[in-house]
Order: sequence, then C-alpha cells, then structure tokens
Amino acid sequence: MKNSFVAIAVILFSEVTYAQQTPLPRINQFVDIAATLGKSEGAVAGSYVRNWRIGKKRKWEAGLGLRSTSYFGTKKDFYTAPGRLARSTTTPFIIVFAGQKTENWDTLTVQRPFVTSFNLSANFGYNFSTRLSGGFNIDLIGFSIGRKSSAILTSNGITRTEAVTKVAAFNVLLTGDNDYGSLNSEFFLKYKLSERWAVRGIYQFYFAEYKSTTIKQTAPDGTLVDRFRNKANTFGAGVSYQF
Amino acid sequence: MKRTIFIFLVTGLSLAGCTKHNETPEIKLDEKIPADSAGGSNAKYTGDFSNGPYGSVQGAAKIYVQNDKYVLALENIAVSNGPDLHVYLSREVQPVNFIDLGKLKSTNGNQVYAIAGEPDFLAYKYALIHCQQYNHLFGSATLK
Repeated sequence: MKNSFVAIAVILFSEVTYAQQTPLPRINQFVDIAATLGKSEGAVAGSYVRNWRIGKKRKWEAGLGLRSTSYFGTKKDFYTAPGRLARSTTTPFIIVFAGQKTENWDTLTVQRPFVTSFNLSANFGYNFSTRLSGGFNIDLIGFSIGRKSSAILTSNGITRTEAVTKVAAFNVLLTGDNDYGSLNSEFFLKYKLSERWAVRGIYQFYFAEYKSTTIKQTAPDGTLVDRFRNKANTFGAGVSYQF
Repeated sequence: MKRTIFIFLVTGLSLAGCTKHNETPEIKLDEKIPADSAGGSNAKYTGDFSNGPYGSVQGAAKIYVQNDKYVLALENIAVSNGPDLHVYLSREVQPVNFIDLGKLKSTNGNQVYAIAGEPDFLAYKYALIHCQQYNHLFGSATLK
C-alpha cells in the first residue's frame, strides 16, 4: 500500500513538472459520454464542451456546453420541491446551506422514474498537468422529457396512489432548492490517455423533478403542491474525445 | 486504444443496464392463523378473493384480533406471480387511498400481516394483492 502511494505521488509530481514546461492549447473542445450508478438508480450523459484556458500558464479553464442526461431508477423518493417549503430561506446561494424544513416535506415515491434532460451547461477546470485535470460542471437551463409513472404520495402517514406522474418540462438553475426541473452537475478528475482520448472519474449530483397530476400535497400554508424532487448522488466514469 | 475504449463503454453500459428482479417467493408458507380458545375462527371480517385485471388470486382474506391488535390473514391463497406484489387494505378496489401491509411474503399458503392502528374496516373494506411498481391489481377481496 505504501509503495502505491509513493508511485502515485511520483506520477503526479512528474506530471506537474512536465506541465510547467509545455503550454496548453488555448481552446479545450471535446465530446464526452459518462455513466454513473447509485442505489437503484443511474444516469447516462452525453455532452459537448468548449472551454477557454485562461491565465498566463493556462491552467484554469471555463466554458459552456450542451448536455443530455438520462436518469433512471426504481422506487425513488421525491420530496416536496418548492424552496420556500423545503428550506428555511430562499435567498439565492444561501439556500444551498440553509436548514431543511422536513416538517413540510411529503414523499412522492415514483415507481419507475426515467428523465432525459437537455441543458446548457457551465464548465470549470484546472489543469494539474498536460495529462491530469479536474473540474466541476453544472446545468444551467433547458428542458426535459420522460416516462410517465405511477407513484405513491405519503403525507402524514397516509398513503395515496397517484396513477400518473410526469416529468417537469422546464429546467433552470436558481441555486439549491430554488431550482426548477432536472439538472445535472459533476465533480471529476480527468486523465488523458492520448492526444485525443481521455477518461474521467465522476461524482454526479442530479436533481430530477416529477409532477403529480391528480393528487397534490396540501402545504401547511394551504397551497397545493405538485412538484417533487429527487437528489441523486452517483459515481461513475466517462470517456472524452478531444478535437 | 479503440479496443480499450470499447471495453470500457461496454462494461459501463452493462452495469447501467442491470435491473433488479423483484418477483415474490413461491415457497408455500404455513403461518399460524389466529383462533379462539375453542379452536374456532374469531375472524371479524372475511372475504374471498376474485381475480383482478392483471393476475389471479384464490383464497380468503380475514381480519382477526391477535393480542389486542388487528391482523390480516391470507388463507390458502394462490397468487400468479408478478413483480413487487404488495398486500393492501384499501378504500377502493383500484387503490387510491390505502394502507400498505407490506410485500406479499409468498404466492402460496397461509400468511399473517400486522395492521398498524385501528383502521375503519367499513371504509377500508377491500383486501388487495397489488403490483405496486406498475400499479396493476392482481386480485381483491371485499371484507364483510
């Protein structure tokens, strides 16, 4: 084990040393496919990304992309989605760290969720070397299609069958539980195998949203709620082709 | 290189395509049905199953009081197998408002399910065998 750590450290150090000698191209443009898995759920994503490397050493990069993500699962719990009910504040960005108001949450157990989202994405990265990089990306705005499914709404211990739930059509990033629709985000490490090909290790965080059609939650403030959100944490891998 | 990428892709998609089989065990159960001190039945409500649109169910459903708690007994039942079969007490034949007593333990034999609380059996008057994942009714019994 100790030898493994030493070997990894030597590789990383040699990569960083090599990177200091070789400038990276200004544009980083690639297509990517990725697959991730979690407990009774998974996702497959395809994307096109165009990043611009910035700074004198061109280590940082940022850009935009287009991404399609298909999320699927079995018997997944979706919780009350509106930010004003789900969290203690709706202030953008602050809401991500705000307390959860679980007393307002009802559970919509969607039996066979399947969502495919098409979104514009923002992409950020840092090049540790010419071969090794890491980064973060997140969907910004787009739309979703998907399979209708039966579901069970559990509210205060009472269970009711919702015969038809459907995918929320419109997606937009407003930070945290202010978001609408289905949005993908990833943290990743990327390793270039050759001039064109690279592989990625991925931690994915996917918001999926379903809407009930006939049975709605009656919130404590008396409003009727039909939006329910699942937050899927999955791990996986991807392959990129640079051009 | 292309071969490595191909193997990587096939492996990933194979893992992503894995599905969980969710059928009910078929071993015949013989759980003890509650009986009064004389050995007779003290069922509060009873009903015989009839087939639903998506399966077949034979046998009887009976509500007993056991240790001051209600239980549902399925007696001599035989159910056509399917995915994710559950036992419900429901207000409707096609369940909207229901109490989920859990997954069907077996497709055959005698089985007992605990009922939480004291539901109104005049309202929750149907015992159902229901495929939860696809919202398909396999069979129902009207409790009288």
